Amino acid sequence: MLLGRNDVAIEVDSLVKKYGDLTAVDSISFTINKGEIFSFLGPNGAGKTTTVEVLECLRKPTSGHAFVLGFGISKDQDEIKKRIGVLPQEFNTFDSLTVRENLQYFAGMFGSSVDVDGLIKLVDLEDKRNEQYKKLSGGLKQRLGVAMALVNDPEIVFLDEPTGGLDPKARHEVWNVIRGLKKRGKTVFLTTHYMEEAEVLSDTVTIIHKGKIVATGTPEELITRHGQRNLLILKNTDKAAVPLVETLGLEANFDSGAGDVKVTLNHSSDLSEIVRALTLKQIAFGEMQLKRSSLEDVFLNLTGETLREAETL
Amino acid sequence: MNRVLIDLKASFKMFFRSKAAVFWTLAFPCILILLFGAIFSEMDSKYSLYVQDLDQTPSSIGFIEALNLTNAFNLHILEDPAINATEYALDKELSYILVIPEGFENDLGTANATIKFIYDQSQTSASVVMGILNSVINEMNKILSDGVDFIRVQDETIAPKRFSFMDFFLPGMIAMSAMTTSIFSAVEISSRYRESGIFRKLATTPLRRIEWILSRTIYLIVVSFIGMAVILGLGIAFFDVKIIPDPMSLVLVATTSMLFSGIGMILSRFVKDPETAGAAANAITFPMMFLSGSFFPLEQMPEFLRSIATVLPLTYVNNGLRDTMIMGEPHRAIMNTIIVVVLGVICLLVGAWITKWEED
Repeated sequence: MLLGRNDVAIEVDSLVKKYGDLTAVDSISFTINKGEIFSFLGPNGAGKTTTVEVLECLRKPTSGHAFVLGFGISKDQDEIKKRIGVLPQEFNTFDSLTVRENLQYFAGMFGSSVDVDGLIKLVDLEDKRNEQYKKLSGGLKQRLGVAMALVNDPEIVFLDEPTGGLDPKARHEVWNVIRGLKKRGKTVFLTTHYMEEAEVLSDTVTIIHKGKIVATGTPEELITRHGQRNLLILKNTDKAAVPLVETLGLEANFDSGAGDVKVTLNHSSDLSEIVRALTLKQIAFGEMQLKRSSLEDVFLNLTGETLREAETL
Repeated sequence: MNRVLIDLKASFKMFFRSKAAVFWTLAFPCILILLFGAIFSEMDSKYSLYVQDLDQTPSSIGFIEALNLTNAFNLHILEDPAINATEYALDKELSYILVIPEGFENDLGTANATIKFIYDQSQTSASVVMGILNSVINEMNKILSDGVDFIRVQDETIAPKRFSFMDFFLPGMIAMSAMTTSIFSAVEISSRYRESGIFRKLATTPLRRIEWILSRTIYLIVVSFIGMAVILGLGIAFFDVKIIPDPMSLVLVATTSMLFSGIGMILSRFVKDPETAGAAANAITFPMMFLSGSFFPLEQMPEFLRSIATVLPLTYVNNGLRDTMIMGEPHRAIMNTIIVVVLGVICLLVGAWITKWEED
C-alpha cells in the first residue's frame, strides 16, 4: 500500500514489538524526511536495532504501522527491499570472496548493473579490490559494508552501528563515507550509541530509551531544549572576577584549588560581554576554555542516567 | 534462476579457496582409500610359502610346480639342506614352511610319501593355506592312483566376476563422502551464516530462501559427484577396480546428498552455535559410518548390530550402490534407491521449511 507525502522517506506510527513478555519497542512514532541523515540514538538494548529490523522487513511488528517510501512493511516487503540498502549491525559477508566479488554477488542478487568499481572508489577501497574480506581490517570491512548497502542504488540506506568497535581513525573514515551518501541525495537511517557520531552527522536525532522515544529534533535543538548551559572556564584568574561576572547576570564561582573561575553562560553573546568587562577592570585571565553542552547531557537530563549507566542496566 | 547461478558460482569459488573444505571433501577420502587399500588388499594377494626340498627329484620338483600352478602362493625355496626348518621359521618369523623330505620320490612308489607342513597356528589364514595344500595333494593322489571323479563341483559365483576388497570398499567410501560432505557443509554454513549475520544481510536482498536452498542443494550434489569421481579415479588408477557408475548410482549419490543436507539443516536449526552443531553432526555420522556397512560387510557384524543397520539410511545407500556398481544389476538397487529418495526428499523439505533467515 502506498501512503504518505512525497518528501517523507519513513513514517512510523505506534509501532510495538514484543518478545514474549519483553516489550522491546513500545509504541513509537516518528517521521523521516527524504535526503536527511536521521540518527536513532540510545544505549545498547534500547530498541534501536529491533526498530530498524522491523523497517527492513526482517522482523514482524507486534502492532502498529510503518511505511517505507510509502510502502507498508507488512504487505510490500519486496518493493521495500528493492529500494533500501542495509548495513546490518556487526556486519559480515563471505570471508573468502574478494571486495569486488562480494559487491558483484550482492549486486547480482538485486539484478543491479551498478558500477562496482565506482562503489569501490566511493568507499576508497581501490587498493583492496582483490583482497579477500577476511584479510581486511575492521574499518575497511565497514566501508565495504557501506558499499554493499549501495549496490542497488537505494533511496534509503540503513546503517546499524556502522562504527561499532572501530578505532577513532576508522570511525572518521566511515563518517566521511556517510557524509558522501547525503551529498548523493540518499536518506540515511543511522543507529548509534555514540553521542558524538549522532551530533556531528545528523540532521535529526531521535533518542530512544527502554523502547520509548524520549526526544526528537536537530542536535542543536535537543541541546538547547534539554542540555545544560555551556560552561566557560577562565584559567588562572583572580577571584575578583566572580563578583564582576555576577553583575552581568551570570552564575560564577571560583575554584581555589585550580585557581580557575567558572561561568555558566546563558547565551553565546555572554562570552564577549565577559571579556569586555574583565578587560575594562584590568583583571588578568589566562587561557579560556568553553565546555559545550552535548547530547550526552541531553540524555542525562532526559533519562536520569548517563549512556554508560543505561547500557550496564 | 539467475540468483541461484550467482550463488552457485560464489559457493564453488569459496569451496576451492578453502583448503580445509577441499581436504576433507576430496583428499581425506583418498587418504582413507589408500590406507584401507594398503591394509586390506593383502587379503587378495598370494600367501608366502617357504619350501625346503630335501629330495631334489623330478617328483619333488613336480610337486612344487603343482603348488606354483595354483596361483595361491608366492613360493620361496630354501636352498640350503642343512637349515633346520622349524628354527628357521622361528628365527625369521615365518608363517608357513613346507618340507619335502629326502626319499619323497621313493616313498611315492610305496604309497607312503609324506611332506611336513610347519605353520604358525596363530595365523587366521593357516586353515586356508592347509586347505589349498590338501587340494593339491588330493589331486596328485588321484592322478597317481588313476582315480575317477564320481562327484564334481560346478563353480558358479553370485557376482558375475571376481571382486576384490576395494570393489566392495569404494561404493562405501562414495556413500560416506556424500554423507559427510553434505551434512557438515549444511551444518557449518547454516550455523555460521546465522551467527555471523550473513543470513540477516541476505534477507535484506530479493534472494528468496528457497532459491538459496536450491543453490546449496545443487552445490552439494555437484561436490558429492566430484568426490565420487575422485574416489573412482583413485580406485581405477591404484587398485584396478572394475566398477563404472551408471545413472542409478548417480541418483543414489544425489539423493544421499539431499538427505544429509536436509538432516544438516534440521540440526543447525535446533543446535545453533557452529561448534555444537558440528559435534551433533559427528554424533550422527560417526556411528553410521561403521554400522551401515561402509567399511565392512554387514554379514560380518553381530545380529544386534545388523538390526541397527536396518534403520540407518546410509545402509540403503551402501546396498544400493553395491548392487548397481559392483553387481552390475541396477534393478536390484531399485528398492534401496526408492527408500533413499523418499527419505532424501522428506529431510530436504523439512530442512528447507524450518531454516529461517529472519527471526519473528
